[in-house]
Amino acid sequence: MAKSQESFDLVDLKLKVSGRGDRLFFGFSSVAAYFAFSLVFLIVIFLGNASFSTFKTQGLAFFTGSTWDDAAGVYQIFPMLVGSVLCSILGLLISAPISIAIAYFIEFMAPPRLAKALTNIVDLLAALPSIVIAIWGAFVFAPVAAQWAQIINNKLGFIPGLQNTSGTFVGSPFIAGWILAIMMTPIITSVCREIIGSVDKDLVSAALALGGTRFSTMRRVVIPTARGGITGGILLGLGRGLGETIAVLYVLNLVFIVNFNILENYGGSVAPMIAAYYGESSEVGVSALLAAGVALFLITLFVNLIAQIFVGRYEKKMAS
Amino acid sequence: MTTETLRLVTPETPWRVRSKSQLVYIFIASTLPAALTFLIADQMKLAGLIALTIVFLPLQLLAASLAALITVGKRGILDAILTVSVLFLMLTMGFLLGSVALSLVQKGFKALSFHAIYQNSFYVTSVTSLEYGGLGHALVGTLVIVGIAVIFAVPIGIAVGVFLTETQSRMRGSVRFLSQAMTGLPSIVSGLFVFAFLYLTGWVQRSAILGSVALFLLMLPTIIRLSEEVLKLVPQELRYAALALGAPRHKAFFQVIFPAARSGIITTCLLGTARVIGETAPLIVLVTYLPSTNFNPLSGDMASIPTYIYSWLKFSTDLANQRAWGGALALMILVGVLFTLARFFGRKRF
Repeated sequence: MAKSQESFDLVDLKLKVSGRGDRLFFGFSSVAAYFAFSLVFLIVIFLGNASFSTFKTQGLAFFTGSTWDDAAGVYQIFPMLVGSVLCSILGLLISAPISIAIAYFIEFMAPPRLAKALTNIVDLLAALPSIVIAIWGAFVFAPVAAQWAQIINNKLGFIPGLQNTSGTFVGSPFIAGWILAIMMTPIITSVCREIIGSVDKDLVSAALALGGTRFSTMRRVVIPTARGGITGGILLGLGRGLGETIAVLYVLNLVFIVNFNILENYGGSVAPMIAAYYGESSEVGVSALLAAGVALFLITLFVNLIAQIFVGRYEKKMAS
Repeated sequence: MTTETLRLVTPETPWRVRSKSQLVYIFIASTLPAALTFLIADQMKLAGLIALTIVFLPLQLLAASLAALITVGKRGILDAILTVSVLFLMLTMGFLLGSVALSLVQKGFKALSFHAIYQNSFYVTSVTSLEYGGLGHALVGTLVIVGIAVIFAVPIGIAVGVFLTETQSRMRGSVRFLSQAMTGLPSIVSGLFVFAFLYLTGWVQRSAILGSVALFLLMLPTIIRLSEEVLKLVPQELRYAALALGAPRHKAFFQVIFPAARSGIITTCLLGTARVIGETAPLIVLVTYLPSTNFNPLSGDMASIPTYIYSWLKFSTDLANQRAWGGALALMILVGVLFTLARFFGRKRF
């Protein structure tokens, strides 16, 4: 795919746009392209405009404070920001190894037919609706994961970060992390699979023929070539995790207290917080939720742009 | 050129050849830990993933390392650990997803019956028997909301794909970059944006069309990327041939390039639809749930399958939960059908 992109341009033909039909055709496609281009700015402008009053009244405390009180008109989202990052990183710690393992299995270990079937399954899972994971997470997974959390807390509770003072384990960032891992895995896997698959097969065969083991080949050939691309894939997964709303809403107990203990029975996350508070907020409160949306958008946009740069740079490297 | 001159050399892979004694060791190393785990878990009453993690994984790692040490020598140990870890990680994800599939079928099946597909839930409360009511209204709503999103997203997405493949504009890089960055647009932000952009400004009253616009924004990047890839797959010679025959470029596109890429374009549309049909967050924000059927996207509330599930989950009675599971199963079936169709159309490629 990357190779054809380079040799693709019609540069040797000085093609001209001629006639009304052509002008209409390319005019429409240009308008559509500029529309797609400007969407990011449209979102920032309109969301920013609608939430400007919140930023003005709350000031910097909007990002650094820990109180959300609609009646008193105080809106601060620091615990939610911390929680979003905490849950997403937990999700990545689970999903990144799994995704790389699946990608490695598909590309190097599976027989062709199984590899194809698995690729299809991964693509299908990318379309797995989050409400389906939400209902499964709430009714089936959360009780089971709470038991795991209890066991971990019993055995390793002395480690900071694994403490639990409440005695209940449902609604913890730990469970949210697992749910996010399920949502992140398909996207990270599909990027990693393409990246690992584009490592020159002759190079791999050469390493094996020289007497390298599977492990040394992976360590010395596959990982060094694919590192940038895999980083990009993981960042894309992070972006997905930060923006996940409904699935987390049902398994995480949203409380406006900063919490770093992953087994404690409450946590925070920006996106589900918006969905949870949206219905019952006053007009000023909705404006504050829009402000939280702006913050969420800018964070995910930043993560995604960096991911794009990583993946794009890798594709360029492969093409040359 | 005859096929004989094209005889390819199949590469030899001597490192894949395994002797009989190696196979015996591999067989033992792959069955013994599983059997032992089964016994230990049975004795200590450990369940599921816990038994897998704290008993099976160490045992399997040990067995595989030993087998590798005996058959290959020290170099083989890391290999064995890599293989076992890869398979174990896959097993973990398979376990979770298997549980999702199993509970969907188990719990959702009861609430799905023939009448559930066409009846609505107007007189249904959280304690009504499953013999009455269904998700017909939600199905109609989803078809209307998603349908409108598709009608706008497909031509615009393909037009951007055309811009990226058929023109030599200097803006191509930035358009591609920013439109792809939109792939990660959180669905709730899409909902909030439409709320601020169309509703707060007073341009559109509260109705299903707001939901369509949000879904449109969410599916556009997918359609742009896939249609660009599909259009790139059309052989360059077809373009040259059409242009050399004197066709204007728009005719070359509509009569040669587009038909050649048609199956891929259909796949694109189906995949884009599958991606957004289950989106819940923007619909919760924008479209109020209505328990009866409404065909008009421009006025009034409307149901959709995701909000149908969401609304039943509020009650926490057994019957309400069963209806929610039924909705989830129906949604998953819809996604599966769209996906299978996409694969069916996508099979024929260049």
